[in-house]
Amino acid sequence: MKLLFSLIVSCTISISTTAFAGSSGTKVALVPGGPHPYFAAWEKAGKDAVKDFGLGKADYKVPAEWDLSQQNELIESLVGKGYNAVLVFPGDAVGTNKILGELDDAGIPTAALAGCVEQPTKAKMCFGTDTGHSAYLGTKQLIKAMGGKGKIAHFTGFLVDPNTTLRINAVEKAVAEAGGGVEIIQVIADIDAYEPADEKINAFMAAQGGEVDGIVTTAWVPAVVASQALTNMGDKRIKMVGIDHDEVVLKAIKEGYVHGTMLQNPYGQGYIGSYVMDKIRGGCVFKANAPWKSTAQTDQFIDSGTVFVDITDVDTYVDAMRGISLDILKTFDGTYLDC
Amino acid sequence: MTKKLPNFMFTNQFGLFCIVIIFVIIFSSITDGFTSRFNIYALSRVVAIDIMIGLAMMVVILTGGLNLALGAIGVCAAMFGGWCMETMGIPVIPSIFLILGMGSFLGYINGVITVKTGVHSFIVTLATMSIYFGLMTMLTEAEAFRRLPASFTDFGSIKLFNKYVSPLLIISVTACLTLFYLFKFTDIGRKLIAAGANPDAAELSGISVNTMFIYCHMLSGFLGAVAAIMLTTRIGAAIPSMAGQLGMDWLLPAFLAPVIGGTLLSGGKLSVFGTMLGAILVTLITNGLYLIDVGEFWIRFFLGIILLIAVILDKTREHFTLKSVIVS
Repeated sequence: MKLLFSLIVSCTISISTTAFAGSSGTKVALVPGGPHPYFAAWEKAGKDAVKDFGLGKADYKVPAEWDLSQQNELIESLVGKGYNAVLVFPGDAVGTNKILGELDDAGIPTAALAGCVEQPTKAKMCFGTDTGHSAYLGTKQLIKAMGGKGKIAHFTGFLVDPNTTLRINAVEKAVAEAGGGVEIIQVIADIDAYEPADEKINAFMAAQGGEVDGIVTTAWVPAVVASQALTNMGDKRIKMVGIDHDEVVLKAIKEGYVHGTMLQNPYGQGYIGSYVMDKIRGGCVFKANAPWKSTAQTDQFIDSGTVFVDITDVDTYVDAMRGISLDILKTFDGTYLDC
Repeated sequence: MTKKLPNFMFTNQFGLFCIVIIFVIIFSSITDGFTSRFNIYALSRVVAIDIMIGLAMMVVILTGGLNLALGAIGVCAAMFGGWCMETMGIPVIPSIFLILGMGSFLGYINGVITVKTGVHSFIVTLATMSIYFGLMTMLTEAEAFRRLPASFTDFGSIKLFNKYVSPLLIISVTACLTLFYLFKFTDIGRKLIAAGANPDAAELSGISVNTMFIYCHMLSGFLGAVAAIMLTTRIGAAIPSMAGQLGMDWLLPAFLAPVIGGTLLSGGKLSVFGTMLGAILVTLITNGLYLIDVGEFWIRFFLGIILLIAVILDKTREHFTLKSVIVS
């Protein structure tokens, strides 16, 4: 399903963007914080960007572990090897700034992808999901599905992920706006890996499954594990809103065990991010009056899009994400760049 | 001269030096960018930290022991330094001394528990690794210190010698020279070696073996704290995950450098310059493998293989190297 999603989105965008094709010496490295299924779409995104925009290279390079030092070492070796633009999911919201500054000093443009670094930064932009807003919308959907009252649990990602705090705060905000009818009874973080997620979520369901009325998950692996747990339990009483498009989550939505999911746009991030790096290396600069969005970490944020999908549109979600990516790409130059 | 040249050529360090040169020639020939200024500078920074981590483990291996808590000590010292500078507003220089003091203190605890209980330091430091890291996580709530003084963090970005070399490397080389002098020419250094080589004989000759072992653990903690300071200046923040979960990311370079370098796992013999060359070799291989695109996950595989080979060589090394050279 993930492959199909990537293929369909990429084919459509490729057909729509042949006009961009050209030749360039831009060699983009797409470097996530560590191994994670969310970033897998960046690989195809980079390849398609090479094909469609005539980039020299746009390669997906994964550090062996979630470790800032390893990520730094990998980036340095890639630059040594000739990559001249870097798209990075920050290993640390502030710590990554050090290497981004050094790359900028060496004339290598960089951008934060899927997660932001804190300002001041030399990163040209942060292009990703407005994770706080996505978590807020997802929680709102959950509260609506619960009838505006009940107890919810929040399962989320790595504490070192700069998005995690934003997500926790956003869920709390949505709950606070519910007017006292909704209560967060548990937040379980640092479980965006299968072993800890499986252990902690199943332990929670065993201990408090009878008390909880709703679950919101704001990271990939917890969404998968929680969907699997609800499916295995055969429990349709507990409402759940997940995140991303893992086939386990989508199947659970179709079967009615999960209410819906908040989709992100990793393919669009890698594809459009590579395009922007090439433009910047070609001499383009961001407009002084570019309509940046602000987050808690940066005021140079561009939203790569998010959309809620439930049982009514789970079969056509690809169209929604395709539309978002195309819209961003079509208007990007005019909106953000001076070339 | 004619007598000493062949002697030197039979040392483990000379063999390592030749291997380093061979790898430099190979990677320079088959990869793009290996000799670029950016890459050499980056290499100098990575190797500086790996040398320091290797030295920190080497001084405990000298006793026939191990320090699995090295990474945890480093992270604790770095986080303590971050708290001193960011939260308490203590100036940089006093904070550095406090960081070094914290590293030494945690090493001291390892040493005291090891000698008082008689339990192998492998077990003791396995336990203290979790204790130190757990305490640090509880006290800091896993929050990084990200607003350290620029005068501290900028040090890690300084470029020397036409922008080819990091000053961190100069610190590591200085540490190597100091340790060589300590073990080769000072009374306390020889006592440390004697205690590691044959504890019973050392005790009979009037050396307090327990005290020497505690000193070695303190020195290990001190050097681990130096490595932590260097890493903090490199990444610009004190972060709980800077050495991986429980500080375990430091273990592979910590073992590789001294064992490849000729320090005997059974204790009593160490090679300071061998540790330095071992760290250089490991960093070279890692960087070269990155550049020839073998895939990031294979690099760990190759480093594991190298460690295994080094340990096997450790068993046979005594028969092929000069037995009379105890410190090199």
